[in-house]
Amino acid sequence: MRTLLVWMAGSLGLALGVPLAMANGWNMPVGVTDVSREIHSLHMTIFWICVIIGVVVFGVMFYSLFRFRRSKGAKSAHFHENTTVEVIWTAVPLLILVGMAVPATATLKKMYDASDAELDVMIIGQQWRWRYEYLGEDVAFTSNLGTPRDQIRGAEARGEHYLLEVDEPLVLPINRKVRFLMTSDDVIHSWWVPELAVKQDTIPGFVNENWVRINEPGIYRGQCAELCGMDHGFMPVVVHAMEEEDFDAWLAERKEAAEQEAMGVDREWELAELMERGEGVYGSICASCHQAEGQGSPPAFPALAGNQRLIDDLEWHLDTVINGVSGTAMPAFRSTLNPVEIAAVVTWTRNAWGNDTGEAVQPADVAERLAQ
Amino acid sequence: MWSVVKSVLAAFFGVQREERRREDFEKGRPGAFILVGIVMALLLVGVVALVAIQAAR
Amino acid sequence: MAPKLPPHHPVEQSTASAAGGQASAHHAPPRGLLRWLLTTNHKEIGSLYLIFSLIMFFIGGIFALVVRAELFQPGLQLVNPEFFNQMTTMHGLIMVFAAVMPAFTGLANWMIPLQIGAPDMALPRLNNFSFWLLPVAFLLLLSTLLMPGGGPNFGWTFYAPLSTTYAPPSTTFFILSLHIAGISSILGAINIVATILNMRAPGMRMMDMPLFVWTWLITAFLLIAVMPVLAGVITMMLMDINFGTSFFNAAGGGDPVLFQHLFWFFGHPEVYIMILPAFGIVSAIIPTFARKRLFGYASMVYATASIAILSFLVWAHHMFVVGLPLVAELFFMYTTMLIAVPTGVKVFNWITTLFRGSITFEPPMLFALAFVVLFTIGGFSGLMLAIAPADFQYHDTYFVVAHFHYVLVPGAVFAIMAGVYYWLPKWTGHYPNVKLAQWHFWLSVIGVNLTFFPMHFSGLAGMPRRIPDYALQFADFNLVSSLGAFMFGASQLVFVAVVILCVRGGEKAPAKAWEGAEDLEWSVPSPAPLHTFETPPTFQRHEH
Repeated sequence: MRTLLVWMAGSLGLALGVPLAMANGWNMPVGVTDVSREIHSLHMTIFWICVIIGVVVFGVMFYSLFRFRRSKGAKSAHFHENTTVEVIWTAVPLLILVGMAVPATATLKKMYDASDAELDVMIIGQQWRWRYEYLGEDVAFTSNLGTPRDQIRGAEARGEHYLLEVDEPLVLPINRKVRFLMTSDDVIHSWWVPELAVKQDTIPGFVNENWVRINEPGIYRGQCAELCGMDHGFMPVVVHAMEEEDFDAWLAERKEAAEQEAMGVDREWELAELMERGEGVYGSICASCHQAEGQGSPPAFPALAGNQRLIDDLEWHLDTVINGVSGTAMPAFRSTLNPVEIAAVVTWTRNAWGNDTGEAVQPADVAERLAQ
Repeated sequence: MWSVVKSVLAAFFGVQREERRREDFEKGRPGAFILVGIVMALLLVGVVALVAIQAAR
Repeated sequence: MAPKLPPHHPVEQSTASAAGGQASAHHAPPRGLLRWLLTTNHKEIGSLYLIFSLIMFFIGGIFALVVRAELFQPGLQLVNPEFFNQMTTMHGLIMVFAAVMPAFTGLANWMIPLQIGAPDMALPRLNNFSFWLLPVAFLLLLSTLLMPGGGPNFGWTFYAPLSTTYAPPSTTFFILSLHIAGISSILGAINIVATILNMRAPGMRMMDMPLFVWTWLITAFLLIAVMPVLAGVITMMLMDINFGTSFFNAAGGGDPVLFQHLFWFFGHPEVYIMILPAFGIVSAIIPTFARKRLFGYASMVYATASIAILSFLVWAHHMFVVGLPLVAELFFMYTTMLIAVPTGVKVFNWITTLFRGSITFEPPMLFALAFVVLFTIGGFSGLMLAIAPADFQYHDTYFVVAHFHYVLVPGAVFAIMAGVYYWLPKWTGHYPNVKLAQWHFWLSVIGVNLTFFPMHFSGLAGMPRRIPDYALQFADFNLVSSLGAFMFGASQLVFVAVVILCVRGGEKAPAKAWEGAEDLEWSVPSPAPLHTFETPPTFQRHEH
């Protein structure tokens, strides 16, 4: 009997423990921040507590099931109460839980202390992309799913980072405390990168706070964790953690590019130039709803190709893109896209798929409209 | 009154001697137990909240 | 689960009108469909509830299989993301509100009067009304799938503003159907409370009641307390959608987080509503087949009450990542950890009941034992989820999906099946076919673990829940889960076969169908005649 018990306890431990202990990709990642390490160790502690309790409890249970079978002639005893035993098995779990609560409280306090940050990044959830704004640095961009739709449909072989790749990752420095301020423009999203142990809901009307200090450079991937509508599964998060000097160089470069772009607003743009830019913006921002060929998916997402109102009424078209349509899924792009991008994407949709209006919308006009 | 409190505490903990329990059910008034039960439940909330406030400092 | 209708032999009239008052003064019931529409008999209504919930279990199951089929491989193969979201949402709503809850109410209708020696439920007409609200509610809910824009697609937790400002037009119908289902639950709960408090056999005190009756009494109070909160929150949604209010709309000064507080103030007790009666069933079955009295009856009652009280104090553990203040995180972490104590006590009591028993493994016992093991595994992952810092990693991943499916499928659903196997001889007069029942059991146990165990790993490895497509490293786990899900689904057809065969025939069962069974229901003939306990039985309590 005893050997059976040992065998069972051992196999249970093996079945649960070995895959978790050894395997990569079966367990929570240790991560690359101090907090993520602490969380991982809390996770492993509570896991082993559960395994030990499980082995004892199931051990007694299966021992009883084998030992006290009626087919083996077991006669039932008559006890049905024992105050001492009951006190013990109420008090012992209570003590274990107190023991667990102490380190958990300490870690939680650390996670809540976002003071003394060296860099503030605003993270804004939008259906279905992330917008990042480096506060005080005039650098901001949107980060969209980078996986081609053909891979999702299976028309093309899937890449290594299928669904976990973006057009522009969030770039962060290592060894600096970065504070995240998190909100949303539409529904609730949740920004999550397992390796950083940061998961925080982004909620319209609220600004949540979280922070990281990354210890190792690298590329860390995650996803939106809160159901946010149709393309919830298609808004990954990618963080590119760089050495501090590389990050500073990157930031300076982005600042300069932003200034260039701002100057580009005032000049006259060619139709072909706008079309080229617009196709890119359309592909990353609009195509998830209105589809690659502008056919939409009515009734929720109207077709743009051959849409007579759009072709006839430039004013309305611009207004829809800039201010959105309240009560529908069409968001306002006033703050998400810059004047060049709005002009380009409007030009593209007015000329692609046989819409052929021949009109080129100038960024300067858009800028004026935005200023009103 | 004190015996009611003790019985309710035992119930919260989940363990009570059989004789005591019988006595409570035969002699005790249900109203008293319900009242003390509600007060103790509120106290429990208060105690856990106090611990949380202290821990958050 | 349909019992064979007992023959219409003239019922022996007790001269004095029995404890149920008018209950015995019946006249010939209408025939055919009308009979079922108008019935006020607790056994017939119990059967209606059980048949309804079985049908809904299959409908909800088919939705789950659509989800699992899409997730069989990476990529979008079968359905588009909008329809996928409708399937996950409908699966959750149907399983919670139309399968598990009505199944327990059905068992309550059948067994509570029999277990306390009452002739019927206290309010038989209300009982009929509570049942017939359900088909109305859920036909309405299912019909939203055919409406323009589709059915609810915001998850069974329907977080605002996804379920208000951004919801499909059919949401108003969804709200109406939940209102109707909620009224049904409240009325059913009131009926159960009235029955248990007023109609026990003479001599049966509260602490003599079988645990299924106790757990249902406490569950009924939970229902009465929280269903109005649900009604309130969906009414606020209704106002936001149709009448221009902004309870949950930040742009109008509203608060999306308020929705979650209200929802989970309902939602957490709701979780216990779906598990407490299961505790009661298992507490009846284990002593019967261990041939030994339940260990720690009084502490079982206390633990049930403790869990019920604590269930009102833990709601925000579903919201650890919404940005609560530190004090709130700590408070809800501590209270959540406390719940593990009474839950542990229950498991220890069951196991100590087995210890030095005289155990046999009939089909109800198989399911009850699987319940103890697999529910405890769900409890362990619950304990892990209670650790707030770690929950930042677990939250909204497949780890959570694994956790609550362990608690609900091999937990609540296995307990319901155990109860059905346990009481089928009483309902039909026949034992269920043992061989087929064993096939059903083993296929279900293997299927359920294949489906849900890998979800722990995919969740820890980083797979969020409610996504229609996933990164390649999650492919193997999902493949196994999908195979297991189809296996589990198919094995439920065996269950239907067992039930139908049992209704139609099989080994005859005596009044006391199980040797070790002791409660009052085993004192009436098998199958139980349409009217029982018209003269209240005298209750013999255990002497210590």
